[in-house]
Amino acid sequence: MSDAGYTRRLSPSTRAALGVFARYGTIIGLLVMILVFSFLSPHAFPTYNNFINVLSQASLAMIIAGGLTMAVIVGELDLSVGYAASLHGVLVTGLIVANHLPIPVAVLIELALGALIGVVNGVIVTKLKVNSVIATLGVGTVLVGLSFAYSAGVPIVSGVPESFLQLALGRWLFGIPNPIIFMALVFGGLWLLVERTAIGQEIQAVGGNPAAARLAGINVDRIKILGFVLSGMCAALTGTLLAARLGSGTTNAADSYLLTAFAAVFLGSATLRDGEFHILGTLIGTLIIVLGFNGLNIFGAPTFSQFVFQGAILIVAVGLASLGRSLAES
Amino acid sequence: MNPVPTSMAVPPAVPFVAASAISKSYGGAQALRDAALCVLPGEVHGLVGANGAGKSTLIRILAGLTQPDTGEIAIEGRPAAIASPHEASGLGMSFIHQELAFVPDMTVLENIMLGLPKKKTRLGLVDWAAIQRDVAPIIERVGITAPLDAAAKSLSTAENWLISIARALVWKARLIVMDEPTASLSAGECRKLFSIVRGLSASGVAVLYVSHRLDEILDLCSRVTVLRDGRSVAVLDGPDLTRRRLVQAIVGGAVEHLSKARDAAPGEVILSVRGLRRLPRVAQASFDLRRGEVLGLGGLVGAGRSELARLLYGADRPDAGGMKIEGRPFAPRTPAGAVRAGLGLVPEERRTEGLLLGKSIAFNLSLGNLTPLLASPVLPFISPRKRARLAQATIHDLSIKARSPEQPVGRLSGGNQQKVVIGRWLRSKPKILILDEPTRGVDIGARGEIHRLIRELAGQGMAVLVISSEPDELPDLCDRVLVMAEGRIVRELAGADLTRSAIIEASYAATEERVPA
Repeated sequence: MSDAGYTRRLSPSTRAALGVFARYGTIIGLLVMILVFSFLSPHAFPTYNNFINVLSQASLAMIIAGGLTMAVIVGELDLSVGYAASLHGVLVTGLIVANHLPIPVAVLIELALGALIGVVNGVIVTKLKVNSVIATLGVGTVLVGLSFAYSAGVPIVSGVPESFLQLALGRWLFGIPNPIIFMALVFGGLWLLVERTAIGQEIQAVGGNPAAARLAGINVDRIKILGFVLSGMCAALTGTLLAARLGSGTTNAADSYLLTAFAAVFLGSATLRDGEFHILGTLIGTLIIVLGFNGLNIFGAPTFSQFVFQGAILIVAVGLASLGRSLAES
Repeated sequence: MNPVPTSMAVPPAVPFVAASAISKSYGGAQALRDAALCVLPGEVHGLVGANGAGKSTLIRILAGLTQPDTGEIAIEGRPAAIASPHEASGLGMSFIHQELAFVPDMTVLENIMLGLPKKKTRLGLVDWAAIQRDVAPIIERVGITAPLDAAAKSLSTAENWLISIARALVWKARLIVMDEPTASLSAGECRKLFSIVRGLSASGVAVLYVSHRLDEILDLCSRVTVLRDGRSVAVLDGPDLTRRRLVQAIVGGAVEHLSKARDAAPGEVILSVRGLRRLPRVAQASFDLRRGEVLGLGGLVGAGRSELARLLYGADRPDAGGMKIEGRPFAPRTPAGAVRAGLGLVPEERRTEGLLLGKSIAFNLSLGNLTPLLASPVLPFISPRKRARLAQATIHDLSIKARSPEQPVGRLSGGNQQKVVIGRWLRSKPKILILDEPTRGVDIGARGEIHRLIRELAGQGMAVLVISSEPDELPDLCDRVLVMAEGRIVRELAGADLTRSAIIEASYAATEERVPA
């Protein structure tokens, strides 16, 4: 018997108000944040350049969060994404600088490798039946090791061609920074996949009730592996773009994206739907986090406050999501 | 001293629970309207009604899980507002729900004492020895034979029911509410439960007994409240308490009988099963299933029927034996493989294995069969409009009671949920459809509709295998029935031999043969 907690004793009007808060709270929060920052810093914050700048900065976190969303939709966690992105950054620079591979080839190799890491994660979780937290933490740690083995921990900085940097710094379309374009393509593609394709229906079904999905004739293991593969490929793209932006392949460079991506995904699950993970939610979730960071930066808030902000917002996000779920069930 | 006139000797009993004019709506749906319920101390009171009639809502209100919009509840004559399950138990009520609440890894004794105040030693530690002494008479009374330190998960469903009853008695409950207690019990276990219920009543504990099985209601209850469309339409007792009156009150009109007229003679063999085995539950199974036939699989709970179905469906793999579909070898390794080969399954546990409760009716109907929803044959995209239209058509065809195809399936009643699971297979038209307990926990009206639907599918040439623990169900529905006992198919019944009593007899016959004289 599902116990909806204290929510079941509320009056209908309070319940309706809470329902609105649980579903739209994140969006309201985003708008309030924009308004407050605009009011406090009318010259630095609400400008086209700042927004484009923030969005461009945010795009890398968004791409990794979009991929992570695919893993959590199929009901698993992927803790390897940050470490994987770091490894990809090191490898892609190495392939270009040391092996003199053409940039597109190097990028494609990274994407394929990202998919392979996803397959490994997926097979460990579905076939060996290892809990996904443990499996992906283990794989992620192995990836850290591989990254050190490849670069000996020394950043690859010299000989990085300008054309590679253009991948992240260029503005190839309508003067919009490339990361934003990549991010938009990833999110558009993932949204279409989940919401509008047959495979997307199966992805949602597997996340919602694996037993029912299996008995309805869906190959649950394959769908879960697909979730990890998409997560792995997005991590590869983020790692590659980060290396291009930094102009170097550095171990640990992308590790911190893990926490940002998790906070974004859970904030997203509290957005518009009742505690259900979805792509559009993740998009809004990441916006909240990066705009929050940006605002704190503009006001010169000390570094510690950013950690407090990120930790607190993760808890608020999960709280909102479970509030939404319990309202939906009661 | 004047003798007291006999008519005065029995004072008008103060009801233990008297609920009146209870109304409750969820969103737009009116679950209860002016419903009333009165349970006297020490009586076994039946609560019956079609699915969606409001039984669960009424129980949830008594349990403090939800609050009525209007209405009054009095416990032993005193007005009571039951704001939480905690207060409900404080008032002397104990609830045993369909899905039993116990902690699998804790022991029998720990489960009995779960959430109850426990005796402490002087050091403030739980004094299990003293508790065990106190609880011993109750354990004796409900007939728990398992050792008290056994893990609850090692016990059968029936034994876990006994644990719940013992917990209620330790708590000195004055009213125990039992929701579909026999849904997952075998015949022998049911008999044991009935004698416990009678014993409770004799010792002054009232029982509110909720069940779809009218035989049990007639057997056990002294008074019965019938709910229909959220209203309490009848309270029957004494000579009025008959099966006919009950059914009339539940249905609220004439009861339609399923015509057993067969649309077509069964066709050629489509599935043939030879020597299928997976120990310990399936010892040996061989049979043929024909196109256009409804084949029943009867027997006691635990006879191996669901396990056999799992083999057919690729959920498990057999140790020995083989299957053929249309003459070609068929050895599914996963349910997905079985679906590709032309099977469909309506699983036993529709809420956990059949449906995504949070998703819409349209989503659940299209699960596993998405090709018809594609917007175009070349692109992989589905059309939400097509999905809504197809769902609407199925909702109409199966007369599923729902406001819209986008309504979450978790909000529907049991019968309507079952129709959604069956509806999923209507469009993909599998060659073989397996239904495991298709009408469990489903009301009489919806049961008739589901039976009609099954006959219709067979009429269209589908081969249907129906598993049912209710001996009443199979003779009405099936052309032929196989009875399983202890993992073997022990009898095949058809035509005039296919009767309720023949099925029951065959189910028990094998068991008795094994017992040495």
